[in-house]
Amino acid sequence: MRLAKAILLRLLFGVVSLIFITFVAFIADELAPGDAATVRAGEKATLAQIERLRRDMGLDRPWHVRYVETLGKMSRGDFGESYLGIREPVIDIIKRNLPMTMRLAMVAILLAVTIGLTLGTLAAIYENRGADRAVLTLSTFGVTVPAFVLGPLLAILFNNYLNDYIYGSFGVYVADSWSTNRKQADWLYLILPVVVLSARPAAMLTRLTRASMIETMQQEFIRTAIAKGVPFRRLVIKHALRNAILPVVTATGTSFGFLLTGSFVTESFFLLPGLGRETIEAIKQTNAPVVQGCIIVTGLMFLAINLIVDLLLPALDPRIREAQV
Amino acid sequence: MAGLSFVVLLIAFAVLYPIFGPDPLKTGPPFQPPSGDHLLGTDELGRDILSRLAAGARISLFVGIVVQMIALTVGITMGTLGVFSPTWLRNVVNRFTDGMFAFPDILLAMLIIGVWSTGVIPVIVALSITSWPGVARLVATQLASLKDREYVAAARAAGASTRYLILKHILPQLWGILLAVSMVDMAGTILAESTLSFLGIGVQPPTPSWGSMINNARGDMNSHPVLLVWPCVLLSITIFALNFVGDGLRARFDPKNNSREA
Repeated sequence: MRLAKAILLRLLFGVVSLIFITFVAFIADELAPGDAATVRAGEKATLAQIERLRRDMGLDRPWHVRYVETLGKMSRGDFGESYLGIREPVIDIIKRNLPMTMRLAMVAILLAVTIGLTLGTLAAIYENRGADRAVLTLSTFGVTVPAFVLGPLLAILFNNYLNDYIYGSFGVYVADSWSTNRKQADWLYLILPVVVLSARPAAMLTRLTRASMIETMQQEFIRTAIAKGVPFRRLVIKHALRNAILPVVTATGTSFGFLLTGSFVTESFFLLPGLGRETIEAIKQTNAPVVQGCIIVTGLMFLAINLIVDLLLPALDPRIREAQV
Repeated sequence: MAGLSFVVLLIAFAVLYPIFGPDPLKTGPPFQPPSGDHLLGTDELGRDILSRLAAGARISLFVGIVVQMIALTVGITMGTLGVFSPTWLRNVVNRFTDGMFAFPDILLAMLIIGVWSTGVIPVIVALSITSWPGVARLVATQLASLKDREYVAAARAAGASTRYLILKHILPQLWGILLAVSMVDMAGTILAESTLSFLGIGVQPPTPSWGSMINNARGDMNSHPVLLVWPCVLLSITIFALNFVGDGLRARFDPKNNSREA
């Protein structure tokens, strides 16, 4: 029963965070100069015309009434329409761009978790020896070198030096951009973006796994297992890693936030048609409804991942499960 | 030490070089190799690369320092209010801090810039709003552990008011660790500023910044990779160095420092 209550509380917290995000997005738009009426009226409109339009669109009502109305619309998938071009509904823009961002993010987080667990465990086993030092140095670079530095450097490297070599071996141009030269299968264009995107989360998860594994390996039950003669591979994977993995799971949720940041940069740099690039374009064109919609959806993804992670923890850790039953 | 010397050198470079060096906005023959006039050569519009790097360092350091000052001021105030204030205010402040902490900060910064404007001031405001919750939380946890120490009780028994206690006895204990944290946070701020400028929604041309230099150099990256390499290397080393300095300070000031920290 306690577990059900905890899950319910967590869900409630998710809903509150969601409302917080929409509220911040709404208020930010409210405080910004210009509104939908000014944009729709066009540049030649007089003040009186704008005022009339504002009344017709219901923008003269108090803000809390409009906020509740906006919430209602959003829950039906209505995020307003773009200020520019053919006034395309924002939800269509999101639907068109979301798959690319999702695909990038999912592949990148999988790669980051795989790299993080493998390298982190290796470093912990070889603590303070060569392999450990190498992994630590690599992960320091991963944390400090930003995505928009890594992206160009890798692109130069591949375009100028490595591409012909790799093309000769595998028949694949790795650093090809999405929009210009589409001769290969879709996923091949995603190799470099995914590598760039996952570098930072991978490095952070590596460091965390290492620290957590080292701590676990020093505990009594590991000594007992060694004394019992448990084979080393089984000891590391079944005994130590299963215990050390919990903080890593939690951090995977938070590192998803870095992934979102990275996706703005990566999609812009590699010219991928995703939500991140769309957001940046909209910000440059001061297209407020699109900015708002994209950011709310991105925030929603962040919340959803963290919710899943938090709900997953009791399933992975019997201690949490039993403490709450 | 290496980190600290680099930071000092960078500040000197940012402050002094623009006085002697060529004008970073003056155009001329493009893609010149390094020479006596242009120590690192010129970019795609014939502007002096070293001058632009110095001007970019100015902007980055300025944004970093201003944002951290604001973050420290707001963070210390909120953190103190979160421990020493009436219960209702304490709850409001702490819940607000938690909410801001949980919000992915780059999204908030982009939202602010997106509905407001691009440029140095919006970037500073956006990054300040997103960077104080970390400081507030640190101050709150430290204060909560310090406020029950014997020396605080002794000062209280001697008739010190809460205000005097906080200002004279408790906060001075925190300067070291706060300095360490703001160094690491400043690296984050500089990174965020260059990210926004790289994306074209931060510092706007013609003002040079590392992020926009990286973005501009992209067009010629296959023929002139050097243009891209300089700002990339400088930015990475700066972030590296600030993190080093911060870690060094933390090791010195935090008695509970754990060298195995992730």
